[in-house]
Amino acid sequence: MNRMQNFKNGLIKDNPVFGLYLGLCSTLAITTSINNAIGMGVAVIFVLILSNMIISAIRKLVPDDIRIPVYIVIIATLVKIIQMLIQAYAPALDSSLGVFIPLIVVNCIILGRAEAFASKNGILDSALDGVGMGLGYLLAVLSMSVIRQLLATGVLSMTNPFNEAQVLFSIRLIPADFTISMFSSPLGAFMTFACLAAGLTAYKLHAQKKEEAKAAANSKEAAK
Amino acid sequence: MNKNSPAYLALFLAVTAGIAGGALYGANSLTAPVIKANAEKAEKASLLEMYPDASIDDFVVVDAEDIIADHPSVQGVYKYGDDIVIFKNSVSGYDGGTVFLVAINAAKDTVDSFKAISNGDTKGIGSKITENAFAESVKGKQASGQLDTISGATFTSKPVVEAINECAEIAPTVE
Repeated sequence: MNRMQNFKNGLIKDNPVFGLYLGLCSTLAITTSINNAIGMGVAVIFVLILSNMIISAIRKLVPDDIRIPVYIVIIATLVKIIQMLIQAYAPALDSSLGVFIPLIVVNCIILGRAEAFASKNGILDSALDGVGMGLGYLLAVLSMSVIRQLLATGVLSMTNPFNEAQVLFSIRLIPADFTISMFSSPLGAFMTFACLAAGLTAYKLHAQKKEEAKAAANSKEAAK
Repeated sequence: MNKNSPAYLALFLAVTAGIAGGALYGANSLTAPVIKANAEKAEKASLLEMYPDASIDDFVVVDAEDIIADHPSVQGVYKYGDDIVIFKNSVSGYDGGTVFLVAINAAKDTVDSFKAISNGDTKGIGSKITENAFAESVKGKQASGQLDTISGATFTSKPVVEAINECAEIAPTVE
């Protein structure tokens, strides 16, 4: 039950991007196309799960004074490994994500989860937390990239990351004359982000109010 | 050893870094050949644009370590057929400089083809080097002789022309 709650929190309520405002730099930069978003999301999930598991496994061995450098070494190693894998097997993705793959090292979602969760919990819980947070990040970048790609180009499309030439799907929803190219620029990224973050906050406030009303009703009944 | 003594901390960090290095070595030896093959394929794709009729296997990568050591602007050397030597060059210009391919017919000492890959100089001025007009102007000319620069974009085109002259000197020595 508790585990499931943790998992769900990462996805919606404590969504790392829209709820906790972590890892914004890469989020704003790479969400221009669905391909980039999925590539980045999967890379982050991979690094997050493994770093959470490794850090949780050695949490009793690591001396407190040097825990951050040790975490950084572990995270950097994992990121470098996935960077090499992407370069080798998905070169198109590598050229479009560019510097943001190595920058996963300093993505605060990963170090944040290592420090806040993995260093205090068991391996299984940490792995699950990694899955939840990672999926939360993927969901966030995916929703942003769908909105931005659609408004900027009018087309929703995806190609096979391992073979550039193979188009998985491509649908034009908005005629080319009515696209808003601003959404592919940083300005569009900020606007999309602001709207989605505001939406999540509104939803959270709404849920909180509902709960408070329920609690108030309960206590009234108890007083009777 | 005391768990909080500096020596233990240093040792722990060193061991962590050592394990990380080992993991990276493993991953690198696994992926390096694939990455190299990819890069070569990407290189050859731009060669194909120069010679659309050729197939990718017609280009032979020349081991150019000695040439690159002597001529810093040269980045790669390829052979196409018996006479044509293709050089990939990167020269500095006004700002970002130019990366280009030049194919030299070593037997006739002529420029067989020219293709600019990228130019980081002023748009509209230095970037003229990437336009067809320049490529056409050098094509067929004597590679070691006088080649025209672009007027108004001397800072960009002079290093390119000089690099072509340099390549013309190297071309006959490439096996």
